[in-house]
Amino acid sequence: MIPQGAQGVGHLATRIVTDLLPKAADDYMAADLGMIAGLLGLVAQDFERGTEVLLADIADIHAILETAAPRFAGSDLGRRMAAEVARLPSGMRLSQLTAHTDGAMRVLIDVHAAVEAAADAGEGWAKMPDLAIWTFLDAHVARRSYDSAF
Amino acid sequence: MAAKEEALRAGLGAFLTEQWRDEARVEAISRIPGGASRETWRCRVATAGATRGLIVRVDPETSLIDTDRATEYRAMEAAHRSGLPTPEPLFLEHDLDWIGRPFSITSEVTGCQASADGLPMEHREALGRRKWRLLGEIARLDPLTLGLGEVMPATKVETCALEQVDYWAGVIAQDELHPNPVAEAAIRWLRRHPPPPAQKLSLVHGDYRTGNFLYSPDGDIKAILDWEMAHLGDPLEDLAWSLDPLWCWRRPDLAGMLLPHAEAVRHWEDASGLTAEPAALAWWRVFASVKGIGIWISSSEDFHRGAAKAPILALAGWLMTDRQQQILADYLSPHSAHRFWRGAA
Repeated sequence: MIPQGAQGVGHLATRIVTDLLPKAADDYMAADLGMIAGLLGLVAQDFERGTEVLLADIADIHAILETAAPRFAGSDLGRRMAAEVARLPSGMRLSQLTAHTDGAMRVLIDVHAAVEAAADAGEGWAKMPDLAIWTFLDAHVARRSYDSAF
Repeated sequence: MAAKEEALRAGLGAFLTEQWRDEARVEAISRIPGGASRETWRCRVATAGATRGLIVRVDPETSLIDTDRATEYRAMEAAHRSGLPTPEPLFLEHDLDWIGRPFSITSEVTGCQASADGLPMEHREALGRRKWRLLGEIARLDPLTLGLGEVMPATKVETCALEQVDYWAGVIAQDELHPNPVAEAAIRWLRRHPPPPAQKLSLVHGDYRTGNFLYSPDGDIKAILDWEMAHLGDPLEDLAWSLDPLWCWRRPDLAGMLLPHAEAVRHWEDASGLTAEPAALAWWRVFASVKGIGIWISSSEDFHRGAAKAPILALAGWLMTDRQQQILADYLSPHSAHRFWRGAA
């Protein structure tokens, strides 16, 4: 276990930029090494925050689905929403959390489309869940944004 | 890499010898960084007592953009014939016998660079003016008169916009490794708010941006590159893509790191004779970011399944997807402060 993994990956990126890149045989290899170093910087950020990002997504999506569920009661989508809210991740590995988030996200996408269709049809109730979903999408994007020199 | 270079050197020498009916010897060959859609090589070739520079574009086993080499070549050929600055197209070869993969060859444009990092800022305004006036000239061309209707899918002014949405929505659905709720919301928005018909059918370059043209140190554009996504469509598509905030991430007020957005649009309008109606342009700007996400998702899918290990594919998949999602959320979220729309004002 390397609790300072993000810093460790960062050191590897620094090593590439300061030691290996100047020795690159040609421009093509130098460009590749520069991009690999940049990528390591992104990996380091995901190493540190990955679990938090995915758990936050799952919690936010479940809250939206629970709130919106009464509007879809009795429909196939309503049943999928209920099943999703009751579902737990199969484990805490990033791969398991990612798979769980993907499943929750697919339900959310369908709920968002249904909410938009209701709004277009003039149903006033649709405004609140639409705003809630966009609040989530804003947070979802912000949580995943990378700090990069590129 | 050395063995690959030697095979290319030998194959290209044999090909050029046959084409020119004179002995051609590849004296030097090196791969050019970038070029995510095709492998791009710079060659020095000796023939008939002289040496000339050539650029060879080789189909990769996989690429960031899945495109047809003939479309790219014919579009560049048409632009070159119309007097636009492009490298001179010389050969398009489909036969696998020469180097094992299809390829195209153009003349080399020397003394220039393409990097957005090296823009001569003292010539920023002149370069920007030239950039968007050239794009306007591309929009002004009649692609059917140029014969491009024979190599590009047919479309209509009424349908070209939503056909593009369908195409890129299909790419995202096919290649995404994870669901993309922001892109999905944007695709629905595009379909629910279709733009007016195109003012005309144009040759759309498809990837017209800073970084895809060669400029000289004195701020002139000597060659427009990377025509691999060229197609027939609404000329506003190119304008919107050229203005995407991704190409001016650290200076969202300067389109393509060159000009205030309004000035860029004005130069394009002057040169094209067309109007960039704000609502239509806004639609195409949202589309541009959806298309961007499609490209970046495709590239990360190629990298993920191991078909290609080029780090530019992974970088596009991770960093560019992140930024393009930020742009789309900025455009569409009801909570947004519209940082990028303001930058474009």
